[in-house]
Amino acid sequence: MTSVTRTSPLHDRVAALNPRWCVVRGMRMAASLGRDETTARECVAVADLSCLDKAGIKGPEAASWLESLGMPVPQQANTWIETPGGGVIARLGRTEFFIEDAQSGDAASRLRNVLGAGTSGVYPVIRQDAGIVLVGRHVNELLVQTCNVDFQDLGSESRTVVMTMMVGVAVLIIRQDQQSIPGFRIWCDSTYAPYLWDTLTGIAAELGGGPIGTGALLSEAGKLE
Amino acid sequence: MNARLPPVAGEWIDRTKKLTFDFESGHYEGFAGDTVTSALLAAGVRVLGRSFKYHRARGVLSMANHDVNAMFQDGARPNLRGDVELLRDRMVLTAVNTFGGITRDRARVLDKLSAFLPVGFYYKAFHTPKAWFPFWERVFRRATGLGKLDLSTSRIRTPKRYDFCDVLVVGAGPSGMCASLSAADAGASVVLVDENARIGGSLTYQRGGSDHAGAQLRDLETRVNAHPNIIVRTGMLAAGWYTDNWVALVDSDRMTKMRARAVVVATGVYEQPAVFRNNDLPGVMLASAAQRLMYRYAVMPMSSAVVLCGNHDGYAAVLDLLANGIRVEAVVDLRRGEGGTDEEAKVKKAGIRIHHGHCIYEARADGPAVGAAVVCPLLPGGEADVSRSEIVACNGILMSVGYAPAAALMYQAGVEMRFDSQVGQFVPESPAEGLFAAGRVNGVYALEDRQRDGSSAGIAAAKYLGLPAPVAPAVTRTVASPNHPYPIFDHPRAKNFVDFDEDLQLKDLANAAQEGFDNIELLKRYTTIGMGPSQGKHSNMNAIRILAKLLKTTPGEVGTTTSRPFYHPVPMSHLAGRGFTPYRQTPLHSRHERAGAVFMHAGVWLRPEFYMARGKTKLESVRDEAAAVRTGVGIIDVGTLGKMEISGPDAAAFLERIYTGRFANMKVGMTRYALMLDESGVIIDDGVVARLGDQRFYFTTTTTGSANVYREMTRLNTVWSMRVGIVNSTGAYAAVNLAGPRSRLLLAGLTDLDFSSEAFPYLGVREANVAGVPARFLRVGFVGEYGYEIHMPADCACAIWDALMEAGRVHGIRPFGVEAQRLLRLEKGHVIIGQDTDGLTTPREAAVEWAVKMDKTFFIGQRSLKIVQRKSPKTRLVGFTLDSATEGTIPRECHLVIRNGELAGRITSVAWSPALEKHIGLAFVSPEIVAGGGGFFIRVDGGKMVPARIANTPFYDPAGERQKSAI
Repeated sequence: MTSVTRTSPLHDRVAALNPRWCVVRGMRMAASLGRDETTARECVAVADLSCLDKAGIKGPEAASWLESLGMPVPQQANTWIETPGGGVIARLGRTEFFIEDAQSGDAASRLRNVLGAGTSGVYPVIRQDAGIVLVGRHVNELLVQTCNVDFQDLGSESRTVVMTMMVGVAVLIIRQDQQSIPGFRIWCDSTYAPYLWDTLTGIAAELGGGPIGTGALLSEAGKLE
Repeated sequence: MNARLPPVAGEWIDRTKKLTFDFESGHYEGFAGDTVTSALLAAGVRVLGRSFKYHRARGVLSMANHDVNAMFQDGARPNLRGDVELLRDRMVLTAVNTFGGITRDRARVLDKLSAFLPVGFYYKAFHTPKAWFPFWERVFRRATGLGKLDLSTSRIRTPKRYDFCDVLVVGAGPSGMCASLSAADAGASVVLVDENARIGGSLTYQRGGSDHAGAQLRDLETRVNAHPNIIVRTGMLAAGWYTDNWVALVDSDRMTKMRARAVVVATGVYEQPAVFRNNDLPGVMLASAAQRLMYRYAVMPMSSAVVLCGNHDGYAAVLDLLANGIRVEAVVDLRRGEGGTDEEAKVKKAGIRIHHGHCIYEARADGPAVGAAVVCPLLPGGEADVSRSEIVACNGILMSVGYAPAAALMYQAGVEMRFDSQVGQFVPESPAEGLFAAGRVNGVYALEDRQRDGSSAGIAAAKYLGLPAPVAPAVTRTVASPNHPYPIFDHPRAKNFVDFDEDLQLKDLANAAQEGFDNIELLKRYTTIGMGPSQGKHSNMNAIRILAKLLKTTPGEVGTTTSRPFYHPVPMSHLAGRGFTPYRQTPLHSRHERAGAVFMHAGVWLRPEFYMARGKTKLESVRDEAAAVRTGVGIIDVGTLGKMEISGPDAAAFLERIYTGRFANMKVGMTRYALMLDESGVIIDDGVVARLGDQRFYFTTTTTGSANVYREMTRLNTVWSMRVGIVNSTGAYAAVNLAGPRSRLLLAGLTDLDFSSEAFPYLGVREANVAGVPARFLRVGFVGEYGYEIHMPADCACAIWDALMEAGRVHGIRPFGVEAQRLLRLEKGHVIIGQDTDGLTTPREAAVEWAVKMDKTFFIGQRSLKIVQRKSPKTRLVGFTLDSATEGTIPRECHLVIRNGELAGRITSVAWSPALEKHIGLAFVSPEIVAGGGGFFIRVDGGKMVPARIANTPFYDPAGERQKSAI
């Protein structure tokens, strides 16, 4: 983590929504937007969660290296499990892992620091993905308009990692409900994030939802400005 | 005339809701649930449209979504199919394709001129003189086409969506409903779709004068609607099949991309017309059309009918007519013997005259519609014996001579079809993966057989999905062929139409075959049969029969034309959908916006083309940006470059195989230009490789090449099994190029890195913090000045940009865009892959042989280069200048190089160089120009020749001193 304030790839999109800002994990985020978020959240809401710290590990020895550090390791490709700090460790293939901390975890930074420039058979992958949350009772209607995967198959307890295309963008998707409301986490290359955000919020608005602030998803909305 | 019947059991109209509407100059009433056509017929209107070519009066043919001669214009909505378009209150409708209205259509004169307009006449005329082309084009554009497009119509939003199910059942007739129930009973999630407004298929209209079908319908409908595993979607057409049972479902609002694990095709059949003179008169219709009109819309299709039969379904239609109070003047049965069915016995008992072994030779008009049928006995060869003709007065003729399977989805799925001579129909021969057929499309016709066939298909689909299911019921075909082998009758005065969409007559097909278009695909293209809006649903089968007879073969030998999605017209708005066009923004996009950037597309990226300076033109802004780089310091966002990392014991060896250069001997902390070829030795990408450690490299690719390069490297690593890990960090890193003589001074205040040329030489790479953020510095000079590429984590890019701009303010820092960069690199003679090369350019032609180490053991493209190098080069990329005095039109990229009046190359880059104060450029020229002293001409717009001369590159700072020394 650096000393400068990090910028979300969706900063400008969120800034246009008259947000109340906060800083989460060194990144300026919208604690809330200048609008009623309850309706959107009940219907289908889109939120920026790019602030969470991430790390990537790749290489033939990646799994055993993670195990040697005491990290829980998903045994099957395209699955994920929760880290002790409440974050996500996803196995993207036989030899690649994606780790994201929860709001307060430190697994990602710890792994980056230990791995440095890499070791035999284990290589670091810089992860600067945009993180987007979809939540709402009608979230599936948004998904069927944007992605050729049947997310109805992913129950609330599902630990499947879906690597697919969404409106032409390569994404990682997992199911992660928010307070018993159906929810999904989406990660994509940050340079595609404004396009993906515009598309998702546009469809969400047609469905009666729209964007919400990050604060609605976090236990405490970082440090308010 | 009011042709509305008293209430009919099961009718689809709501008599409590009256609707009014206008058609042409008339004002009419209908009911909710009426279609446009049924409401018009109920009001006594029989002429609904004009035909495409001869503008003949036309009415109802099928009432099954294929009546292309009864299409209407509703305001901005063209080509509404009246047979299925639901009536709305206060609709204002006109017929399409008329000149002066449906009654007084001036183009009806074409019917009199038809002898001069045979099929394919436009292939043989109008080709000379060429000067008349524009005239004929205007004539034909005006004469053809149906409804009128309103180009000012606002965009209609029709977002597509995906959907998923275990079993998709297409067609909600008796077999489709039974298939749905069987699959659903086995536990499958079933989606049952039907293009009609209600389910039931033929049970809703083919009743044979009894309530048996209605009772069956009520039972099945109740069970289907109550089943928790079945979702019913009506008004939805399965318009195309794609790989893995991906079926395009189209309704009035959108297209749904259904991904089904299994598909049951229970699409039924299209009833086929007979071919006889004037078979297109209003009042001549398919038997099923009349039945639909009576039972769905309570409309009397005619008051006195002659029914042409080629199967026993015709007798059921007669009973339906009688049940609804319509007088049947005669039944004309193409078959010679009695059928022996209950329906035939009932017709006979009702006192209806039955003419076995007879045909309808001709329909005669009474006004615009049919007034009589000319009935003739059939000779042994199947021709009409006109010497014994009889005229039977009537105002309607029903045709019940056979069917064609609605098998388009199965053809698209790759199901092999064969012509079953017993059924007289193409039926599935071998199944496709996860696709099952049921009912009449499967060649099964008796109602009970169809229900069993549907159940069997549903069970087969469930078993295919691994679900427990009972043993499928045995299915037999217990009915005689419903399809007459040749219900087609020649007439010396023709007008016996085979294709109603395109006004194709029997003689047109015979003439085409005689001219050599005697293959079904050729026949289709020459005559355009099956190419109209109904896509041959009522004409292809008869065309096959006609061609088979002409060729003295069988329909099975003739075969069918290719069925492609979509087999039914789909609104353009549905195809367009929402329109997803991904684009990428660099992390610094907001900074560029604030600085007044004008953006351009570079592949999927948005990049600043230039920054519009207040009060300046684009050209002035670009030149000011370039001047800032040459004299002070400029900054450009190069985050769009592909950025890769490769690590592992074999990393250097891998790069040596991928690129043409040598990397094993690179020192840690240095960079090197890298050129990538394909297997044929053609340049496909370039970049810079930086060695960060013994087993660790960081390298860039072109902006548009990163995804392909990464994909290909990953593929090759799988093939070669080398010990490397490759990471694509393109989106994770932002990057800027800080260039200009003051760049070092600027950076020195932001980092503790030693920027002296001794500690950080030209082409070096270093890792250090800038503004507190870890970054990589590459000392490279694409624009020909002292400078650094700075690569940094994307989330910190804005902070670093702000710090650089703040620190650079005292140095006059200025952001520059792609246009200035292109100019600056051109002054250095640097090549841009894709602009100064094309899909055939080898390193020798691009004059970058120096980057190719042919003495390496292997690299991709090496083998091809060895062959290419043995041949004489045909072209070479060279620098050129224009004479300073050149005036007027200046050459542009892609202008041609001319030598001795012959094409001798082309311009790839050209610009005015402020530094050299003349035009400079790069061009491919022939070796003769190089050998001949270097002079050549460039042909610019307007044909003027501009002299140019080969010049050495770099044009600017040829010794490269400026890249190595800074303030």
